[in-house]
Amino acid sequence: MSKASPVTIELRKVTKSYGPQVVLADASISIARGELVVIVGRSGSGKSTLLRLIGGLETPDRGSVLIDGSDVAALTETARARLRRAALGFVFQFFNLIPTLTAAENVELPLALNGVSRRDARGRGIALLDELGVAACADRLPDEISGGEQQRVAIARALVHEPRVVLADEPTGNLDLETAQQVLALLQTTCRRRQTTLIMATHSREAASVADRVLSIREARIEDGAA
Amino acid sequence: MIRLLGLATGRFYGRHPWQLLLALTGISLGVGVYVGVDLASSSAARAFDLSASVVRGRTTHHLLAAGGDLDESLYTELVVHRGIAHAAPVVELDVGIPNRPGTRMPLLGIDPLEEASVRSFADFVPGSRNLEQLISEPNTVLLPESVAAELGVARGQRIELTLRGRNRSVEVVGTLPPVARDTASEPPIVTDIATAQELSGSYGRISRIDLALTSEQAEQLAQNPPPGTVLIPVEADDSSFNALAAAFRTNLTALGLLALIVGMFLIYSTMSFTVVQRRFTLGVLRALGLTQRAMVAYVLVEALALGVCATAVGLLLGHALATSLVELVLRTIGDLYFGAAVTAVAPSPEIYVRGALLGIAGTLLAGAKPAVDAARTAPALALRRADLERRSRHRAHVAVWLAVPVAAAGLLLTALGPSSLRYAFAGLFGVLAACALLVPAATLLLMRLLEAATRGGASLPSLLAMRGVGASLSRTGVATAALAIAIATVNGVGLMISSFRTSLDHWLGTTLSADLYVAFDGDGRSLTTEQISALEHIANVRGVSLTRSVLVPTPAGEFAVRGMRPGPDGWGLDILGADPSTALAAVANGSGVVVSERLAFARSLHVGEPLGIPSPAGEQQLPIVGEFRDFNTGVYSVVVSLDWFRRYWQDTSITGIGVYVERGSPTMPVEARIRTIAPQPTRIRSADAIRKTSLEIFDRTFQITEVLRILAAIVAFLGVLSALLSIELERSRELAILRTLGFTPRELTTTLLAQTGLLGAAAGLAAIPIGTALAALLVHVINRRSFGWTMDFVFSPGAPATGLLLAIGAALLAGIYPALRSARGALAGALREE
Repeated sequence: MSKASPVTIELRKVTKSYGPQVVLADASISIARGELVVIVGRSGSGKSTLLRLIGGLETPDRGSVLIDGSDVAALTETARARLRRAALGFVFQFFNLIPTLTAAENVELPLALNGVSRRDARGRGIALLDELGVAACADRLPDEISGGEQQRVAIARALVHEPRVVLADEPTGNLDLETAQQVLALLQTTCRRRQTTLIMATHSREAASVADRVLSIREARIEDGAA
Repeated sequence: MIRLLGLATGRFYGRHPWQLLLALTGISLGVGVYVGVDLASSSAARAFDLSASVVRGRTTHHLLAAGGDLDESLYTELVVHRGIAHAAPVVELDVGIPNRPGTRMPLLGIDPLEEASVRSFADFVPGSRNLEQLISEPNTVLLPESVAAELGVARGQRIELTLRGRNRSVEVVGTLPPVARDTASEPPIVTDIATAQELSGSYGRISRIDLALTSEQAEQLAQNPPPGTVLIPVEADDSSFNALAAAFRTNLTALGLLALIVGMFLIYSTMSFTVVQRRFTLGVLRALGLTQRAMVAYVLVEALALGVCATAVGLLLGHALATSLVELVLRTIGDLYFGAAVTAVAPSPEIYVRGALLGIAGTLLAGAKPAVDAARTAPALALRRADLERRSRHRAHVAVWLAVPVAAAGLLLTALGPSSLRYAFAGLFGVLAACALLVPAATLLLMRLLEAATRGGASLPSLLAMRGVGASLSRTGVATAALAIAIATVNGVGLMISSFRTSLDHWLGTTLSADLYVAFDGDGRSLTTEQISALEHIANVRGVSLTRSVLVPTPAGEFAVRGMRPGPDGWGLDILGADPSTALAAVANGSGVVVSERLAFARSLHVGEPLGIPSPAGEQQLPIVGEFRDFNTGVYSVVVSLDWFRRYWQDTSITGIGVYVERGSPTMPVEARIRTIAPQPTRIRSADAIRKTSLEIFDRTFQITEVLRILAAIVAFLGVLSALLSIELERSRELAILRTLGFTPRELTTTLLAQTGLLGAAAGLAAIPIGTALAALLVHVINRRSFGWTMDFVFSPGAPATGLLLAIGAALLAGIYPALRSARGALAGALREE
């Protein structure tokens, strides 16, 4: 992202601890709409915690997390759920598809939650699966398709409702090198095309190389540096 | 190694205390219900046995009149001329106590001097001086302690006894304690034989002679009894009651066993889940070198530890439960026979051992399959959920094929097996087992049909709920089967009870054809011909029916001969197995007898066969021309015409009169008029009152069944709760994903409750055909073999509808906590567990 964009996400002096272990201390960052941000750091450094705080899956001990100006921690659980369904998309390391729903139904799920009719949701889901090259898997259950295909379906599920932000936690961590590169490229191009903010926690050097910004977490501090 | 495995198990349950509690509760409840029911019914039986043994003493036989009573000179003949040393004359009366309205008590008139040869009340009464006093002073009695306490009567005070419609005053010279410390079984009122004869006005007559005979003496006397007498062994005396009480106990035991079986489902469900939940750990253990055999032993030892702890609690629970149940059991048997009470449940090592063995063996049996499953876990490879569920679905299909031979064996055993009640119950359990095997596959089918029916229309959350039921079959299959069987029991027993009640109501309607009944309590006191004629001519009376009933002894046990003259609306008999008009015409002209269905079943009597009826004029043979429905739980009975009866008994007295009032006319004036004609009738009751009392007794009788039904439902509820908690734990990550995608807590709760509701609905729907089949078997096989009577099977939608609602309600209730936990629990934690 070369041109300045309105701020989408802002962390103000956020502190988060698990018992005596401080994972984030007075962390402050701003992420603009359409930015592609990669978070790096050692295992246990707090990358996933940062994503969960942004996604409203956890609340900070101190400080605030703002999405489009509203404080996530101040919202009720129901309001946070509505925020997630409308504005956020998640991609996980272990895909986390719902095992009892087919690939297409998994992709339809966020649309269904946003009140899109079944017919429209089906059409949009299939179109996106086709775009990501897994339309053939549409009617298969997750355990009937490969890991790479499952992650593409998971990406489709994260993007189908056109969220403002996609949070990806080690999306290539469970894939072979070739598939990982494909998935990474797919995430990058799709988010760029849709002007979706992508925040990705990863160990992958390739991922860092395509980012607009790289945030590094070290000793509970976030170090901001351009890619 | 063992220490480490033990630590691993201990910490696992430490992290999942609810699971441990549910497993322990399931086993404890199963064992508790079985032991409680067994202990209560055996305590009740013991109370009756003790009561009977006090009265029987060393008596081996009774010598009875073929009809009516005996001349007391017969006693002298037996002792003097036949050399029978151990003999005692007895007068047995049925008396009422005005201060204890509605109850009647046996009064035993004995000869204290001769008593010692067959039984000794002197040993029984503290200070035998009372017995001597009985001889020296007329009109004195020994009163049961409990009755004396209830009436507030002390030694030396007088009480009123009602006999033959008149009150007689007697002095209480002592009290008789309960027959055993732990039971308050009431002994009879005891008095001197002369006092009893004076009270009854039958001087020189005795009811029977009690004898303690050697086998040789018994054989000789049976071959050559004094004229007009019959020698019967004491065991045959209460044959109808004994059969009834034994059947009642078997029924209770079967219900207790059913609770244990449902409890075993719960244990199986819990053990399976703990194995599935730890499949990763178990896989690692296998990779580290734990052999398959050691793995089986590991899981079985765990099951054993659970079984031992829970069984110990179950035994305590059973004892406590028995204390509550025994009163219900006694009330039921008491309604069927006579009153008794148990103040405390007698501990029974035999029942505890049996309960402990069943509990521990049941737990091991239920844990066997999960143990084998654990041993088959691939080393270091945690089975994927999808693989597990695929296996479960495959097993559900295999179970369908297995159900066919199991059901066939059960039905064959029920239909073709020996006529014993135990075989019928074994067959019934076989059919239930087959049904349980079908439930998981039926649940899958139901969910598929539901999904197909809503194709295109169902929302994704609904689809999630529907598929969730089938997708968690490894957890829910057994729980659904347990719930279905428990609800089927609720349905089946409910349908049986409603069928029974409908049949009873119909039978009462047929039998109670008159409007008022005048009874003389079997003492033979009668109205004169003129008085009867006067009754017939009371204004608005359109006719009367007359009955004379006597008990006749036979070597196979006694039965009642009812000589009847029908009223204007007929005989009031529901004839079975023959054309009613032909059969009753034969009875009316004295060329045939109709026997009660119970008697025909107990003695294997058939229409067309001759029936030997002992009478004062010797045994009379009459062909059986039909059976009649009889839900009386007292002695068996046969019906002949009153004229035929009088011909052989030379007895014109009557024991009951049915008075038919003109339709629409009030009965009260008629009743008042009857009292002026028959000044001291024992009782006058309207048909409506008798009907109401009968139905009240019926409802009371089935209270214990209701209690057991509820207990079975509680065990099943715990099973579902356990399964749902298991699912919630197992799916916590999946549910967290749904929340991450934007499901609100309410939406997730609704989805999960919809899933549990569907599970309950599947169980409830499966329970309808299973319960109906169970009810049909209970009505046509179990009741027939237990009590000897048949009834009409009446399907009423009430019981299945209640069952369906109960199943859905139980499942929803059980689902609330897991759903709330999933919807509101820490989201990050569930996602982080990977």
